[in-house]
Amino acid sequence: MVDQLPNRGRELEMLREMGFESMEALFADIPAEVRFKGDLPLPEPQSEEEIISDARRLLGANLALGQRPSFLGAGLYRNYVPASVFQLVTRGEFLTAYTPYQPEVSQGMLQAMWEFQTLVSELVGLPIANLSLYDGSTAAAEALTCAVRVHNRKASQPNTVYISALTPPDKRSVMFNYCQGAEIEIRTIDHLADGSLDLESLAEAAGSCGVYLEQPNPLGVLDENLVRVKEIIGEHTALIVGVQPVSLGVVEAPGHYGADIVVGEGQPLGSPVTGGGPLYGIFACSQPYLRLMPGRIVGRSIDVDGNEAYCLTLSTREQHIRRHRATSNICTNETLIALMGAMHMALLGPDGLRVLAERNLQACQAAKEALQATPGVTLVHDAAHFNEFAIAVPGNAAACLAFLDANGITGGFDLSRWYPEHDDRILVTTTDQTSSADIAALAAQLALWSTHLEVKA
Amino acid sequence: MSHLFDHHGAENTGYSQPQGLSTTGQATVPKGLLRKNPARWPRLSEPEMVRHYTWLSKRNFGIDTGFYPLGSCTMKHNPRVNEVIAQLPGIADIHPHLPEHHLQGLLSIYYEMQHMLEICAGMDQVTLQPVAGAQGEFTAVRCIQEYFRLRGEDQRTKVIVPDSAHGTNPASAAMAGFEIVEIPSREDGRIDLDALAAVADETTAAMMITNPNTLGLFEADISAASAIVHEAGGQMYYDGANFNAILGITSPGLMGFDAVHFNLHKTFSQPHGGGGPGSGPIGVKAHLAPFLPGPLAARRTPTAEERIQAVDEHWYHWIEPEHSIGKVQQWHGNAGAVIRCWAYYRRYGNGLTTMSEHAVLNANYLRHAIHREAKRIGVDHLFVDGAETEVAKHEFTLSMQPAKEALGISAMDVAKGLLDRGYMAPTVYFPLVVPECMMIEPTETESKDTLDTFAKHFVEVLTVEPEVLHEAPVTTPVRRVDEVYAARNLCLRHPFDDA
Repeated sequence: MVDQLPNRGRELEMLREMGFESMEALFADIPAEVRFKGDLPLPEPQSEEEIISDARRLLGANLALGQRPSFLGAGLYRNYVPASVFQLVTRGEFLTAYTPYQPEVSQGMLQAMWEFQTLVSELVGLPIANLSLYDGSTAAAEALTCAVRVHNRKASQPNTVYISALTPPDKRSVMFNYCQGAEIEIRTIDHLADGSLDLESLAEAAGSCGVYLEQPNPLGVLDENLVRVKEIIGEHTALIVGVQPVSLGVVEAPGHYGADIVVGEGQPLGSPVTGGGPLYGIFACSQPYLRLMPGRIVGRSIDVDGNEAYCLTLSTREQHIRRHRATSNICTNETLIALMGAMHMALLGPDGLRVLAERNLQACQAAKEALQATPGVTLVHDAAHFNEFAIAVPGNAAACLAFLDANGITGGFDLSRWYPEHDDRILVTTTDQTSSADIAALAAQLALWSTHLEVKA
Repeated sequence: MSHLFDHHGAENTGYSQPQGLSTTGQATVPKGLLRKNPARWPRLSEPEMVRHYTWLSKRNFGIDTGFYPLGSCTMKHNPRVNEVIAQLPGIADIHPHLPEHHLQGLLSIYYEMQHMLEICAGMDQVTLQPVAGAQGEFTAVRCIQEYFRLRGEDQRTKVIVPDSAHGTNPASAAMAGFEIVEIPSREDGRIDLDALAAVADETTAAMMITNPNTLGLFEADISAASAIVHEAGGQMYYDGANFNAILGITSPGLMGFDAVHFNLHKTFSQPHGGGGPGSGPIGVKAHLAPFLPGPLAARRTPTAEERIQAVDEHWYHWIEPEHSIGKVQQWHGNAGAVIRCWAYYRRYGNGLTTMSEHAVLNANYLRHAIHREAKRIGVDHLFVDGAETEVAKHEFTLSMQPAKEALGISAMDVAKGLLDRGYMAPTVYFPLVVPECMMIEPTETESKDTLDTFAKHFVEVLTVEPEVLHEAPVTTPVRRVDEVYAARNLCLRHPFDDA
């Protein structure tokens, strides 16, 4: 505590210079009836050494994904963030800056974010990107309200959007909270048995304000049907595609098959999983959405000498100017995590991204092959996958995952938490960090689980 | 200049990767989905990448660079051990869906933070899920909305905000579907109880207010304001942006509030990173607790089996509030930010009161020093206090209106002059109720010497010839940036060759 307060011991000197005799005088304007009585009932202050010691002990009780074979993903993906990214992002000039309201002394972050906008724009194939929303779920939710703002007047289904029926309930809940204030109705579109989008079900969405789909979908399926969506829903309905950004090293950019808005969880590029936050939400769009989109944007400009300079622009959409008529309430965003993303992207380059995406494909394929050959296990979807795929196991998924856990494997995600109608399905996630040994261990334990159940039966 | 898209040093990639796993079949993408043209990303070798971002960092100003008196933003020092802790695998490499027995450390820290914030705010239940102050506001007004819906009071469709409120207040309430009723502040910058009483009625869902207010003044009438709103059947919402001024001295609970958000990144020093991340937990009184987003960290006595994995005498677990509004972020909020703020809180413990005292001491001292230095060199007629008051809280406002009228020097000119002297400028033109406003918040982590020197520089700026000051800044990486040009000639990405 003392090491954070440079004026400890000088309080009286400063007070007397102001004509006061006690600290209390500075709080004389706070009425007695609202004052705290006594001290805060909290523990004594700790030194840095004590804090880090407690942190190591407590955080050490958590199970890090890297400690053992792990197949848990479902929206967050274990990755390797290059050392240079961590080293650079902790430079105090980046780390301890506020929002760049004074552009003359914030050119570094402004230019870095303008470059981030370019990197994202190129990645997803759309001309405009903002400098991040909170995470993938809020980016998707804001995309829905943005689509309604843009299309509501011409829509034959006003105040209505459609989302994939596979959208995880936690994400749907975020969407509902963001949409309910504008009285937007969220309807769903079905998928076929192979995991692909039901294009007949999709036809109902024509004339609505927007359609939200994911590529790969929440069960890891790479769905060719998505390239046909835009022609079905038409120009007055926004196609919003949620992406896993690493996949775009090998998978076509949604902007190239008609997407109007692309959103996604940026985490796999630049950020560790971090218990689910801070992450960064990608938000990119085409021209018609520009003036009604949420979030901050950096523009390239000039200074009074005509030199290249950067500043925040199109701020009249934002809460500090437009107040209750703003396109979003967002103020603080995830700039620093987006900066980590930009650094990772810059280091990878186009070829590095392709290689990284291929490694993810290979790990997924290797796991599918191993589990397909595992007695008792079946793959739910006969399809191409990225990162993850659903399997059905003998017995109950939760019990199977507990068995794997007890045998040193974090086996995946119990899909009954998303889709209660199936209690025997697990979402198995692989990434570039998955090893052959991890996969072999999972397959062996799943085989044991099947045998174990047979014996019991 | 260093331009990312001009670097071509690496033949393929600046980052070599290991071989992928071998497969029997082909690991590929359906034909119709294969990417045709790769992203036009640069090809940098690692040394070029490191040098580019280091160069950029040198063109940026943070608290580490110098004094950062940006009002309303609480730019205090960020202890470095917090960054070390946040990189430990027990936070950086954990998944929010791990079973509870693998997250006992995280859960215990979440519980401890909920509990600490409940004590400091005088609230009954805290959730750490909202990831920013504005999201905290939105979450709380959603809870209030559902509370009234369940009570059958659907007619409560209005939210009252003072005209000096942060822009996020009306924006968040509008996003939840509320109609905004703005009430004017009194001449002295404080809340107008008559104006409040005139609008508070059976359509009022809530009033959103910060205290100390955005002028840095404590609203002594806050209990009366709470009574008016409660009398009308509405809820009181506390915007915690200015919480740094009152920790351990008073609390939103004592002032009669029903809900509050915290800007952990301000009060508890999560580094602001050029615009984020943040963390915006909310606390509520018991009647609103069933509506909070879940899950919340809770604890109970462990079973014999659990005792082996327990981090202390409790077993920590998640619970879902009964009438939860659902989620506002897909996971458990910004866990990494919560951990940093936990480390910060541990450093102060029951000494958080001292932290606030020093924040208020520094703000009042700086206000005093600026007036003192202005008198000394005879420029004290060029600005006035934004609001008349004996004492300020953690921040204060000055109006440059006299300088504007006498010399044509604006608040913006003064801000730019300060940039030339090695400082971040104070917040300018906010709150809107003060003409030519400069809003100054030094925080508790600045020394008396820094404050004295800043005060001298501040008044010195007012002695600069106006036409010279209009040209400021001249020592910064670029000079005054043309924001109108940026908006009229939109260039939002590197043009490549297709522009």
